[in-house]
Amino acid sequence: MMGRTIFIDPGRCIGCQACVSACRECDSHRGKSMIHLDYPDEGHSVASLPTVCMHCEDPVAPCAEVCPADAILVTADGVVQQADTTRCIGCANCVNACPFGVPKIDLQAKLQMKCNLCYDRTAYGLAPMCATVCPTGALFYGTLDELRAERPGVQVADSFTFGTSTVTTGVAMVVPADKVQWPVPGGLPVVQINGKDVR
Amino acid sequence: MTEPPQTVEPTAPEPEATAPVPDGGAPQTPAAVRRRALLAGTAVSALLILAIVFGSRLLRDFDSALLPYAVATVFLAFGVAHRYTVWVSAPGARRLFRQGWRSFFSAANFRKAPTALPKMIATYLGFQKFLGARSHARWAAHQLLFWGCVLAALITFPLTWGWFTFTSGTGDGPGYEMRIWGFKVLGFDSLNILGWLMFHGLDIAAVLVIAGASFFLWRRMKDRGAVTGQRFAYDLIPLIALVVISVTGLLLTFSSIFLHGGGYEFLAILHMVSVVFTLIYIPFGKFFHIVQRPAAVGMQLFKYTSRRKDGAAEELQACRRCHEPIDTPAYVDNLRGTMRDLKLDFDEWAEYCPRCKRVLRGNAYLTHVKKGFR
Amino acid sequence: MTATDRSRALPLDPSVAPPGTRNFRDAGGIPADRWHADQNEETLVPTHCCFCGVQCGMYLRVDRGGKVFGVEPRNHDINRMRLCPKGINAYQQVNHPDRLTSPLMRRNRDEEFRPVGWEEALDHTVAEIRRIQGEYGNDAFGLLGGASLYSEKTYLVGKFARVALKTKHVDYNGRLCMVSAAGANKLAFGIDRAGNPFSDILLTDCLLIAGSNVGECFPVMTQYLWGARDRGASLIVVDPRQTAIARTADVHVALKPGTDSAFFNAVLHVIVAEGLTDEAYLAARATGWDEVRRTVADYPPSRSASICGVPEEQIVQVARMFAGAGKAMAWHARGVEHHSQGVENCLTIINLCVATGNIGKPGAGYGTITGQGNGQGGREHGQKSDLLPGGRSISNPEHRRQICEIWGIEESELPPAGTSMMEMVWQMQRAEIRGLIGICNNPFVSLPNYATVKEGYDALQFHAQFDFFLSETAANAHVVFPVTVWAEDEGVMANAEARVVKHNKAQEPPAGVRTDTWVMCELARRLGVGDKFAFPDSRSVFEELRIASAGTVNDYYGITYERLEETGGIAWPCPTTEHPGTPRLFEDGRTYHPDGKIHLQVVEWHPPMDPYSEEYPLSLTTGRTVAHFLSGNQTRRLGALVEQTPRPWVEVHPSHGFRNGDPVRVVTRRGSEVFPALVTEAIRPDTVFVPYHWPVPTAANALTVDALDPRSKIPEYKVCAARVEAAERVDEVPAPPTAPGQLAYPETQVSRTDPLPPTSPQGRGTAERS
Repeated sequence: MMGRTIFIDPGRCIGCQACVSACRECDSHRGKSMIHLDYPDEGHSVASLPTVCMHCEDPVAPCAEVCPADAILVTADGVVQQADTTRCIGCANCVNACPFGVPKIDLQAKLQMKCNLCYDRTAYGLAPMCATVCPTGALFYGTLDELRAERPGVQVADSFTFGTSTVTTGVAMVVPADKVQWPVPGGLPVVQINGKDVR
Repeated sequence: MTEPPQTVEPTAPEPEATAPVPDGGAPQTPAAVRRRALLAGTAVSALLILAIVFGSRLLRDFDSALLPYAVATVFLAFGVAHRYTVWVSAPGARRLFRQGWRSFFSAANFRKAPTALPKMIATYLGFQKFLGARSHARWAAHQLLFWGCVLAALITFPLTWGWFTFTSGTGDGPGYEMRIWGFKVLGFDSLNILGWLMFHGLDIAAVLVIAGASFFLWRRMKDRGAVTGQRFAYDLIPLIALVVISVTGLLLTFSSIFLHGGGYEFLAILHMVSVVFTLIYIPFGKFFHIVQRPAAVGMQLFKYTSRRKDGAAEELQACRRCHEPIDTPAYVDNLRGTMRDLKLDFDEWAEYCPRCKRVLRGNAYLTHVKKGFR
Repeated sequence: MTATDRSRALPLDPSVAPPGTRNFRDAGGIPADRWHADQNEETLVPTHCCFCGVQCGMYLRVDRGGKVFGVEPRNHDINRMRLCPKGINAYQQVNHPDRLTSPLMRRNRDEEFRPVGWEEALDHTVAEIRRIQGEYGNDAFGLLGGASLYSEKTYLVGKFARVALKTKHVDYNGRLCMVSAAGANKLAFGIDRAGNPFSDILLTDCLLIAGSNVGECFPVMTQYLWGARDRGASLIVVDPRQTAIARTADVHVALKPGTDSAFFNAVLHVIVAEGLTDEAYLAARATGWDEVRRTVADYPPSRSASICGVPEEQIVQVARMFAGAGKAMAWHARGVEHHSQGVENCLTIINLCVATGNIGKPGAGYGTITGQGNGQGGREHGQKSDLLPGGRSISNPEHRRQICEIWGIEESELPPAGTSMMEMVWQMQRAEIRGLIGICNNPFVSLPNYATVKEGYDALQFHAQFDFFLSETAANAHVVFPVTVWAEDEGVMANAEARVVKHNKAQEPPAGVRTDTWVMCELARRLGVGDKFAFPDSRSVFEELRIASAGTVNDYYGITYERLEETGGIAWPCPTTEHPGTPRLFEDGRTYHPDGKIHLQVVEWHPPMDPYSEEYPLSLTTGRTVAHFLSGNQTRRLGALVEQTPRPWVEVHPSHGFRNGDPVRVVTRRGSEVFPALVTEAIRPDTVFVPYHWPVPTAANALTVDALDPRSKIPEYKVCAARVEAAERVDEVPAPPTAPGQLAYPETQVSRTDPLPPTSPQGRGTAERS
């Protein structure tokens, strides 16, 4: 299953946004950052969450499925690429269908852009820019064995629940040992109190 | 140069044959789609053959030397129609396709904004303003390429189909008559400027295309952004094909003017091979974007008109959590329908903006998975 | 145009998309999005970051035209390819449009600057030096250096002051940074540097981080913290705020600012009471333990818990965790050092390590994390008011004699010790110092009590400043010399581990720009001592520095440029060219005191200098945010960093009743300013926090108190009495100053006027950038 991929551990993330700046340095999209960094616990703690494309495997790439222009291609090794520039019509279907909230869109250029696991670097044997610079290892690129060599006994999960659906991804998240057999909650359903979304 | 692994297009999960697709879509089995595509391809190529036969006045005006070209266009018609049918049968495209045409045919829309469609066609298809936002240089080069190809297509397709004829009452000029479907359209003197332009339209097109394609080829050698992930068959073959067509075309002119036809035969064959290859390649590779691009107009028209619905012009669907606008309600409904068609059962998620999706997932992780380091 | 009004309001293009998905301005303008990488031609120049004391290795990408255009991670063993957002964007300074490219001059402060030639600027400066020193004496002219300079240049600053200006008034901005730790280290160990390398952190069982927001100020060092925890170490963080590392720590001691020594004395009290001390170690290696033990007896947890505002049990827990660990380690930074008892705070932590025998072993030891890139190296070679090269004391006759011999001057010519940076400002106010040259510092943002600082600088008859961007301080000067950024010259820096690393030159300086070395040497030549300043480049200065430090504690003699390039860095002392350097101190159990012992010092806690009252009941504490560096003169011009954190804020606890983004006036006895509130539970209810990287009217240092530690003379930045009140409108961040006729590059400044606080202290989330 998991080959060489990104492992995300929000527990290690210090929210410094090095990944955000590093993403801009990639030659294939110089000056434009594809990574998202959110502070989900605003007002309570400085917790942070980096989001790269999760490269969904099952169902394979919802973004690509909803694309009306067949613009999002998936490589044989499971990397969901950003929209083909000649095909993308800028409809934003992928932006709003992605369960992880990953794709971005340049409305003027009518072009979707998203993390493509740094194809420009991995093709040369380099790690993606974000995972290379991440000061904390919250973003780690490599195989599960390489991760375990650095962090003995670490466990990861690669499936997420959204309501009744489960999405299995190419990118995995670090989880505690007692929660390995258990898909990571994706945030849906949202907890509601008196009809208002909370959290 | 990097050659990334072959990319594959994700295929939609196959719905069970009997399951009716929600929102009234026709049942979609792969076999049904294949059948329909085959039918569409056959129908369109048959129509084209008829058009050629009748347009050339029962082949009287048909130039048999151009037969290979004409055959290639028939294949092209089949391929395009087939691929197009397959394309618009996929849920995402089908729904947008329908919404686009619905907006197009709406009389109410037309009354309210009669100029919207022509303007969109001009900006998205003609002047391709959006390319300027990607890069000014690429926009300029693409415009050269685009207008060069349009010019060439406008001249050559009717010629190969025998729709245009140039006849001279005196045998070989300088007075010519141009006829379409046998009807005289205009007469001109091949020695004056208009005449020169008429006879050298293809050379002008070739110059435009060579300039544009050379820029793109150069960029694909140098720019790391472009080099990344480019594939020879997908990204470079089309450019090379265009350059070969244009250069051989120009050399034909060169040969006839300066070399008294030296090498003409060889060049003509080379030119023909490259053109035929390109035409047959159009439905399969990068060139298919020519066929797809009008979808951008349909999409834009749909979004535009759904925003202009009476009384709700500026109303946008707000994110359920942060109340920031996502898109028009019609668009979100359309997307949710698409997601349901595809058995992506988290379509409710489309009512949240991407940031809230991430924040909610982050919160769920903090609450249910782990709060801190361990 | 379309028929109806509504259609006119509705553009055909573009359409809508949810926030955070639709804009790419987060590039922040130049230069990243303008430079398209050329496939064939680039060279990677290995160097280090110009910013903090971690000194991460990096490659600068240089194009065919010899211009720096990007950065590439470098697998240097300090950082193992990791970089923080400042480091990644650092290269954008090099060819930044805001760079100064010609000397600026004016006769008085009412005039505009005008660009002048180098000759005119240098001649005028020398004429003013001669005039002021002629009228008021040599000591009426001062020199202030900086700790972001290469060590070669810091050496030159000290030599220039003593040999060319012949003034005793020389100091540097490290005075605002790490002098408390330096003082404590000298007192306890007789050597001023961290005892262990970063890599020792990976070997420890218990890690204590006191007063350091490592995740934001030294982001790349976090990998060592996490690495230790991956191997089972426990983490204790002492900080009034729940920072990124405190959030997940095993114990977070959220004490009241200014109570550190009471806390650490109580921890030691518990360790003594529970018999967890290493008595054998203390008997063999330390002096003064009896006095320390007697003192901490007066700090039972019950007493300190009420002083510090933390639970008693937490003190006991920390004591047991630290003393119970096989190998324990303590690192601290400005949080404990920026106090009127900064030296003493550090000493209480040293006492803790020594009492538990955690000194000089792999995974056991003590260190301070220097804030500036050359915070360590910058204080070693003579730009500090009381020090000469090699860490020699200017008051020690033997040391004076040695240096005079090296410099070739008479001992009578060598001035005595001068005063500290803040004291020099007070002397400017009193007109005891009437002329000043500032090199690589920005006191208008970085010194406390801005009103005093401004008054002091305004009183100067002549003020010259060396800078590559026009800082707020330089904008108030008479002459500004445009000098190189770090990538345009070579030199060495010593990081927080006292590892000397080599920075390489990546590109030629722009036309009109000179190295600091060149400018100092030219001034010296005009002052008639050119023969003592015949340095064509950094290498020649370094050769003299090696000799000047030979035989001292801070021995650089064995370090050469070639060795640095071969090894990736050598920790001093390194007395011979065969010596491998000294990454870990005290391995033989001996300190650098003549008796070889650790000299434990007694510390009594006292309250902060700015008293609390009914009017000022809260503590204001200041600090850094991850996207900016020190006075922000560099980082406030880099688009990506401005986008991440466009403005300062005041961090307040929800109990004050403010909502996020409310304008809140922070009032202290020095002044008041209005910031947007960042309301968070991650701060003590009795404490408010303001980051200090911005100038007035959004300067934290317009509010801080200019009280000094009596020994180190460090200002008490980390605590002063304050109150908060609701206000009408937040104060707007001014644009960074630029040369006349220029605007701060507009595309980098787009979000500067955003009135909202960031989502979190680390900055705005990527989706919150409108």
